[in-house]
Amino acid sequence: MVASLNYLFKRVFYSVFIVIGIIVVTYLLIILSPGDPAARWAGNPRGPGAEKAIEFARVELNLDKPLYLQVILFIYNVLTGNLGVSISTKTPVLTAIWTHMSSTLELLIFAYIIGIPIGVLLGVFSSLRRGSFKGDVLESIGFIVANTPSFWTGMALFLVFSEVLGVSSYGRIDTRLATIMGFKPITGFYLIDTLIQGNIILFFDVLKRLIPPAIVVSLYPIGTGIRVVRVLMSEALSEDYVKQAIALGVSRRTVIWDYAFKGIIPGLTQVMGLSFVYSLVDAMVVEYVFGREGLGSLLVGAVVSNDFKLAVATLIIISSFYIIANTITDIVQAWIDPRVKL
Amino acid sequence: MVLAVESKGLSIGYLDEEDRVLWVVKNVDMQVREGEIYCLVGESGCGKTTLGSSIAGVLPPYSVTRGELIIYGRRVIKDDLRSYEGVRGKLTSYIPQNPGSSLSPYMRIWDQFWRVLREQGLNEKTAKERATAILKTLSLGQGVLEHYPHELSGGMLQRVAIGLSLATGAKVLVADEPTSSVDAHLKLQLMRLFKDVRDNYGVTIVLITHDILLAGKACDRVAVMYAGEIVEEGDSISVLTRPLHPYTKLLVDVVPLLGFKKTLASIPGEPPKPGLLREGCYFYERCPFRDEVCLNHVETQVIDGRRVKCWKPLVDKTTS
Amino acid sequence: MRIRVPTLMISVVSTVRRVWKRRMRFRIGLIIVSAITLLAVLSPFIVPYPSEGWGLIPLNETNVSGQPPSLAHLFGTDDKGRDLFSRVLLGSSTALLQIVLVVGVSLVIGLTLGVLAAYYKGLVEYSLNYLIEVFLALPAILIAIPLKMAFGPGLHVIIASMVLTWWAWYGRVASVYARSVCEMDYVTIPKLSGLPGYKIVVRHVLRNVSPPVIVQAVTDFGSVLLEASAINFLGFGLPPDYPDWGVIAQNGLYYITKMPWISLIPGFFIMVTALGFSMIGDALRDELDPKLRRRWRLWF
Repeated sequence: MVASLNYLFKRVFYSVFIVIGIIVVTYLLIILSPGDPAARWAGNPRGPGAEKAIEFARVELNLDKPLYLQVILFIYNVLTGNLGVSISTKTPVLTAIWTHMSSTLELLIFAYIIGIPIGVLLGVFSSLRRGSFKGDVLESIGFIVANTPSFWTGMALFLVFSEVLGVSSYGRIDTRLATIMGFKPITGFYLIDTLIQGNIILFFDVLKRLIPPAIVVSLYPIGTGIRVVRVLMSEALSEDYVKQAIALGVSRRTVIWDYAFKGIIPGLTQVMGLSFVYSLVDAMVVEYVFGREGLGSLLVGAVVSNDFKLAVATLIIISSFYIIANTITDIVQAWIDPRVKL
Repeated sequence: MVLAVESKGLSIGYLDEEDRVLWVVKNVDMQVREGEIYCLVGESGCGKTTLGSSIAGVLPPYSVTRGELIIYGRRVIKDDLRSYEGVRGKLTSYIPQNPGSSLSPYMRIWDQFWRVLREQGLNEKTAKERATAILKTLSLGQGVLEHYPHELSGGMLQRVAIGLSLATGAKVLVADEPTSSVDAHLKLQLMRLFKDVRDNYGVTIVLITHDILLAGKACDRVAVMYAGEIVEEGDSISVLTRPLHPYTKLLVDVVPLLGFKKTLASIPGEPPKPGLLREGCYFYERCPFRDEVCLNHVETQVIDGRRVKCWKPLVDKTTS
Repeated sequence: MRIRVPTLMISVVSTVRRVWKRRMRFRIGLIIVSAITLLAVLSPFIVPYPSEGWGLIPLNETNVSGQPPSLAHLFGTDDKGRDLFSRVLLGSSTALLQIVLVVGVSLVIGLTLGVLAAYYKGLVEYSLNYLIEVFLALPAILIAIPLKMAFGPGLHVIIASMVLTWWAWYGRVASVYARSVCEMDYVTIPKLSGLPGYKIVVRHVLRNVSPPVIVQAVTDFGSVLLEASAINFLGFGLPPDYPDWGVIAQNGLYYITKMPWISLIPGFFIMVTALGFSMIGDALRDELDPKLRRRWRLWF
């Protein structure tokens, strides 16, 4: 218990440092961009009072101070939980981020709930039949799937759904239907929201628009799963303790899952955690193809309108995905492997 | 006399990366009687571990087999067909060379016992009683069950590994170099443990070792292996005191003995590379008693109930 | 640094020959990659409509826009009437250019900093590892967006943004290998006998760390292409008329139901190229790992 608290403390402390680094990098990148955030903050004023208004905005945004002070003040604000107000829309940054991020997260989580079990099962299956025809076919499928650009599969699937099946999968929800039925987002996860409001018709509408993009996003974890599990399982199956379990007459299923597979869970979690972070890019691409709102559209909007507060906040939150994934990996490893202490 | 393990012309080889076969065990006829401690002795690379693995059913998938292996009347190897269904863990079980890496690091000792005992249809309560009883005969407390392997010492792990293979209820235990990682003064203790196990559980033990002293001390019968063949097989005392095969004799001569002023001998030359199949005696190059005939003639003779693979064994020199 | 080029070449050639003999996947991958490389090299000479390939809209635009594949236009024409075959052909050199530049530059930076992070202790170690962690956490696409806003679209944006994230990956890989190398006797003994640090790093550490990191880099070629294409597809990297597979696919997105070939053909090329590189990398990695080398069937 003490050890875990100690670990948590260390992890948080370390993460804060990483986040500070990320803030510095992104702040500098955004400030380098052309355009004047101060003018935007003042509402792009024209006429005689304009310069004064912009000057006032500049002071308000700390842009009049030297660069290092700007950065320090910004870090201070972020760490004290004050992510500020969006410069372009003047709404709190966090709400703007959440409405978009919930969409992306819904897609990603749904895709991984489909993808991880399929990838792992196929990977185990192919590792048990290495060198046979079935194993080779599975391996090749994993290979092709992991090397296909997501926009390509996205477009192909979109074509299939709209032209062949005649199902529209554009957008997140039928907006007309949603307005008529009085749908209101609560958590931001539309699948949950529609269920809470007991709206089965809308639930299926959301589901049918979620499934095609989710299939595309899930191809990456499926492909990676097959390849990584095949490699890890092949190594695990040649461990001494697996051979010993076989010699002791332990049943085949127990040997595969309790002895061999248990040992690869930490490595698998690490790879899956990392691929979840990489899938963010896939999710942005797929959202673009399927016309869904999400982190991609949010970021483009923020950068186009020089909304550096929104952009930096989004970057920080996306980057922290990586830290969260690492933390989960560590916890899983300590949970599975008794030799590892947190 | 019931035969626990019997092999007829058994050969085992491994496929290399170019799909050629390297023969490691060649044409072995072996008879292990029920309830005895049978010892496979030989230098490293002579194929004793491979032979042991074939009994325990843990031959790697890229191995090739010829001949027959019969365990309690079940034909487990018939040329290229290998079927250990209902034999592995039921009739045979394996005591690994390195207990540290042979226990799953992710499970408590109890969980590993449970997975073995579950196969026999025991419920959790009786399984626990059974495990405790087995550990008790190996002088380990019940507390061990709650530990992970990395929390135990090497000697305890060794006994846990023995306990696990006893838990299978198998009739034949194959112990692969059980003493190689044990301190000298514990070796005899371990051998006594094996004898006790044999007496208490009525099992047959196939002991693989390179230590010829240990073979003489602890075993009922000995098979001396050289270059994949059993060159001599017989009861341990007579094989080691009155060797019939030249190799056995040299092997016995190189053993250093405290208190005896004896110049240490060594066997000249090196054992042949595995994989070569040829006529005649494999020991030809190193044999001090060789002659022309040995180059392409070798025959198995039975003398005093001992079998020796040499056409002119050292029978007259030792008995006369 | 004295690199013995002949011996290095011989070992590379013999490895390639051995893997070629044994692995079908390697053969397929090498054939694909050679074909794409050949296309990229020859593309300036064989491209049928060079100006259209580079993004110029033909004069009689309305006559030719949106034509399906035919003999005159092997891959058809796009929405603005440009010959898609020319654009895709020129795209092959863009793809290879991006891969080579991104991996090459990141490899050099990552190897150097990773080895330094493992060799030196104290402040150097901490600050380098910290930098690696920070940049590992940043996806390239996030860096590309502000860079594009600041400097305008172009090759520099895509290269810079990807190098900024990929160097950290090689830094991590290199420092993991280097840490174990630095504990070897052939590093600690010269250190004790007073050989200057830079000499040890170059002569002993770098030389032993490079091969596995380079194999890793070969494995990553496919991923680099996929990531670059995704960034270009989203319009954060190269300008809209550039002959790049990702950009071309983006051009066709709005016409996906009417002229699906505009997007599907460059996408297919990305897939095949990425597949080719991954096959090579995977076969090399399998070859280096003895546990994966054998074909086997399950034996229990």
